[in-house]
Amino acid sequence: MSARTHPAGLGMTYTKILAAVNEHLNSEVSARYAHHLAQTTQSLLYLCYIAEKGVSARDFTGAEEAVKRLFHKAKESGVRVESVFDSGDPVNKIKEIVRTEGIDIVFAATRREDIEKRFYAGTVSRKLSLILPCSVALVRVVHMGRIHPRTILVPLKARIHHISERTYFTAMLNRAFDSKLFLFHAQKKITKFFRGELHLTPIEWEKKIPHDILRFIDHLDRYSVRHEKRLTPGSAGRHIMIEAASKRHDLIVMGASERSLLHSFIWGNPVEEVLRETPCDLIILKPRYEDT
Amino acid sequence: MKIHNLSKEEVFRSLVTTYQGLTEEEAKKRLLEFGPNEIKETRKTPLLIKFLNQFTHFLALLLWIGAGLAFISEYLHPGEGMLNLGIAITGVILINAVFTFVQEYRAERTIQKLRGLLPFNVRVIRYGREREIPARETVPGDVVILSEGMRVPADSRLIETTYLMVNNAPLTGESEPIPLIHEPSDGDLIESSNVAFAGATIVSGNGRAVVFATGMRTEFGRIAHLTSAVEAGLSPLQKEIVKVTRIIAFMATFMGIFFFMIGHLIGRTFWENFIFTIGLIVANVPEGLLPTVTLSLVMGSRRMAKKKALIKTLTSVETLGSVTVICTDKTGTLTRNRMEVKEIWTPGGQPGSIGQPEVDTLMEIARLCNNASFVDGHYKGDPTEIALLTAAREAKASIVYQRIAEIPFDSERKRMTTLNAVEEKVFAYTKGAMEHILPLCSRILMHGVPQPLKETSKKEVTETCHSLMDRGLRVLSFAYREMGEREPCEKVRPEEIEKDMVFVGLMGIEDPPRPEVPEAIRKCNEAGIKVVMITGDGSRTALAIAREIGFIKGDPVIIEGHDFTKMTDRELQEKLAEKEVIFSRMTPKHKMRVVSVLKEEGERVAVTGDGVNDAPALKRADIGIAMGITGTDVAKEAADMILLDDNFATIVNAVEEGRTVFENIRKFITYIFAHGTPEAIPYILFALFKIPLPLTVMQILAIDLGTETIPALGLGIEPPEPRS
Repeated sequence: MSARTHPAGLGMTYTKILAAVNEHLNSEVSARYAHHLAQTTQSLLYLCYIAEKGVSARDFTGAEEAVKRLFHKAKESGVRVESVFDSGDPVNKIKEIVRTEGIDIVFAATRREDIEKRFYAGTVSRKLSLILPCSVALVRVVHMGRIHPRTILVPLKARIHHISERTYFTAMLNRAFDSKLFLFHAQKKITKFFRGELHLTPIEWEKKIPHDILRFIDHLDRYSVRHEKRLTPGSAGRHIMIEAASKRHDLIVMGASERSLLHSFIWGNPVEEVLRETPCDLIILKPRYEDT
Repeated sequence: MKIHNLSKEEVFRSLVTTYQGLTEEEAKKRLLEFGPNEIKETRKTPLLIKFLNQFTHFLALLLWIGAGLAFISEYLHPGEGMLNLGIAITGVILINAVFTFVQEYRAERTIQKLRGLLPFNVRVIRYGREREIPARETVPGDVVILSEGMRVPADSRLIETTYLMVNNAPLTGESEPIPLIHEPSDGDLIESSNVAFAGATIVSGNGRAVVFATGMRTEFGRIAHLTSAVEAGLSPLQKEIVKVTRIIAFMATFMGIFFFMIGHLIGRTFWENFIFTIGLIVANVPEGLLPTVTLSLVMGSRRMAKKKALIKTLTSVETLGSVTVICTDKTGTLTRNRMEVKEIWTPGGQPGSIGQPEVDTLMEIARLCNNASFVDGHYKGDPTEIALLTAAREAKASIVYQRIAEIPFDSERKRMTTLNAVEEKVFAYTKGAMEHILPLCSRILMHGVPQPLKETSKKEVTETCHSLMDRGLRVLSFAYREMGEREPCEKVRPEEIEKDMVFVGLMGIEDPPRPEVPEAIRKCNEAGIKVVMITGDGSRTALAIAREIGFIKGDPVIIEGHDFTKMTDRELQEKLAEKEVIFSRMTPKHKMRVVSVLKEEGERVAVTGDGVNDAPALKRADIGIAMGITGTDVAKEAADMILLDDNFATIVNAVEEGRTVFENIRKFITYIFAHGTPEAIPYILFALFKIPLPLTVMQILAIDLGTETIPALGLGIEPPEPRS
C-alpha cells in the first residue's frame, strides 16, 4: 500500500487514485470527482477502461473518448495522470491493477442494476467494494448541473469505523471544491412504554451526540474544515434525503453499509434507500485503512 | 461552479453533448442510467401494510390474545359460550381497525397534481434532427426546443434565446413572467436567469436549452420529493390514545392475572377463573373509544366547515386545538389585498398636489409602467398595479403611447421597467423598491427640471420612504430616463436601460388589515398562541401593519430574507424563541425551514400557503392551511385545512373549535373509563363472594359498543365552555 503520512501528522494520505471509466456518462462524471481529489492530494491519477467481452465498437470508442477527455483535463490542471486500457472481467482486472500499482482508492460509478437490485446482491458495485484490497468510492451521479459541490452533506452513524480515512477523504473533497460540510446524524427516537415517544429539542439531542461522531468532528477540526452539525430523530434513510433536498445540498458523502443481508432485509438499509432516491450526487465510501 | 456559470461551449463539454444533440443510442443509454423524466412518489408503507398495522398495535394484540384464549377454551371446554365471545372480540378488533384506518387514510393526490404541471411531449434535437418525443424520455444532455405556450420538461441550461419569457410560478410563486438569457450568470442556480426549470411555462419568445437534470432531480422534483417524504408525525390525540391504550392494556392484564390467582387461592375452578379473567379484560378495554372519537371529530369538522374552514383530515380537528404557533402570510390573510394609493411624494413639492410637473410625471410612470388594465368598467391585474392605475387614471386624462418593450418585475430585482414611445420620444419608466431604484438614478426631478442627485436629496428620499413605511404603507419609487432614439427590441437589456435615471417620487400604497384580525390576534395572545408573520414586504411596512393589528406590542425580532439564508439552524432557533417575530422579504421556499425549526423546538405549528412551492411546508406543519380563493390545487392537496375565505380570523375560529373538540373528547374518555368501573366491580364481587354474575361478557360488549356510544357522543358535541 502506497499511502504516505500526511505532512501535518494527521494520518495517511492517498498517493494513487484509480478511476474506472466505461462508455457510460456517469463513469466520466465519477472520474471527475477522482480527478479533483487527485489534484488536491497531489496523487497520481489512473484512468482505467477495461473492455468487457463482446463490447461493441461504438461503446469501445465512447469509453476511449471519455478517457481521452479526462486525460487532457487532468493534464491541463497539472494532475499526474496515466491511462490504462485492457480487456477482460472489469472486477478482476481492476483488482490486479490495484495490487500491482499499489492503488489507494478506486472510484467507480454505480450502475442502474445497483439501484434496481436489492442490497446490491451480485452487482459490480458490491463485488468491487468486497473484492478490492483498497478503499472504494462508489459514485451515484444524478444531477449534472452541480459541477463543483458547494455544500456537502455527510451523514454519520453512531458507530464509525475507519475514522481517520473517512475524515481525510471528506476533508480532501471539501478542500477540492472549497465547499461547506454539513454533518448529519439521525438518532433513534426515544420512547417509553407508557409515555410514548419523547420530544427532545436540538440542544438536548446534541447532548446525546455519539462518541464516534465527536471523534469524527475532532479529526475534521484538525483539517480546519468549516462545518455545521445537525441531529434529528427518525429513520436515517428518509431523513438524509429530506435534509439533502430541503437544504439543496450538492453532494452526499456517506460510509458504506456494514449491515448483513439478513439485517438489511429485516430492518432496512439506509444506504440502499439513499442510493435509490438521492436528490443529488452521492459518494459511498468503503474505507480500507485501519485507524492508527 | 455550477452549470449556469459556464459558457455555452463548457456546457456542452460538461454534459458531453453538442449543439446537434445526442444520438438516439446515447439517449437510450442515458435513459437507462438516469431513469425516466417523471415525478413519482417516494417509497412509502403500502396501504395493505398500513391496514395490517391496525391489527398489530398494543390494544389489538391484547384483544387477539383474549379472542385466542376464548377459542382455545371453547375447543377444550365446549358449551361455555366461549366461541361467541371469541367471535365478538374478533369483531371488535375488525371494527376498530376499519374505523382507525379510514380515519388515517387519505388519498394522496398532491403528486398527481404536480405531475399535471409537466408536459406530455417535447421537441428535442437528436443527431441534428428535430423530433418530438414523450417528455418522460428526456435525458441529461438533450437539446430541447422551447417555444411559446409550452411547459419546460426538465431543468435546462439555455444556449439560445429570442425574447424568451417564462412564468416560474410553480417554483417561485411569482406570477409575473421573467426574461431569460443564454449568457453565463453568477449567483445561485435557482435564481439564475439562464436556466429554465421544469414546470415553468414559456410565456413568449423561443429558445434552445440543454437538459442537465431530469425527473425527481429537478427543482420541481425536489418539491415533489419533499411533499411526499415529509410527515407531520402523530397528532396529540393519536399520541394520547397510544398512551392510554398501553396503560389500559397493562392494567387489564395485571388485574386479570391478579384476580385469576386470587380465584385460584380461594378454591375456584380453573374454568370459572378463566371466564372471569376474560370478562375482566373485556370490561376494562374501551372497545367503543375509537369509533366515538372518530364520530366526534366528524361532527367537529362539520361545525368548522360552517365557519369557512374546510377540514381534510379528521385528526386535524383536534390537532388545531393544540396549535401553539401560527405562521401566517400577510397579504390577503392578515390584510384585505385591496390596495389603494394613500400618499404621493415628490422632491421639493407639496405632498400630492396634482398639476405639479413632478406629480404629472409620477402619474405617467405609474400608468405606463403597469400591466393592469381597465376593461368594461373593471380593473384587472395585480392588486398593487390596479391601485397605481386607479390613482393615475383619476389624476390624468388618457395618454397616447406605444409600449416598445418590458423588463418585468421579479422578486430578486424588485423593480419593473417599460420602454414607451410618447409623442415621438422614447422613455424608460421604472418602478420598484426604493433601495433598488435610487442606486440607478444620477438625477432628480425638481420643479420640472432634472437636477444632479446629491447626497442630501438621497437622504431626504430615504427618510421620506422610511416614514411612509413606518405608517404601514407599501412604498414604490418611480424614475425615468429619456432614451436617445427608439431602441430596437433586441437591445433591451436591463443594464443598458436602467442606468443614469431621473428620480421622480414615491407613492405609498395601503393594504388595510382585515377588520376581524385584531380581535383574532387578541384571542391568540389570550390562548398563548404565538403568531409569526412571514411576508415578502419590507421590514418597516410589515412592522407597521403588525403594530396596527396588535400583533406586535414590544420590540420584535425582524429577520430579513437575505439574513435568514445565512443563519445557522441554531441561530434561527434562538431568534424564534423570542416572543414577537416577523420575517420580511421572504420567499415561499424559506417557509419549510421555519416550520421545521419550530417543530424541533416542540411547537405545534400551523402554516398558511397558496403556491406550489408552499406544499412541502404545508405537509411538514402539524396543520397545513391552504388558501381557498388564491391557493393552487397543489397547495390545497398538500394541506390539512382549506380556508374558504383566506381570512386569518377563520384560522383562529377553527383553533377555538379544535380546542372545544379536544376538551369534549377528554370528557367522554373520562366517561368511558368511569363506566369501566361498574362493569368490572360485579366481576370482582362474583369472583370473591360468588354472587350471581349480573352481566355476561357479551352484554358488556353490547354496552361498550352500543348504548355507551350515544351519551359519549352527546358529550362530544357540547359547545365551548364560557371563559371565566
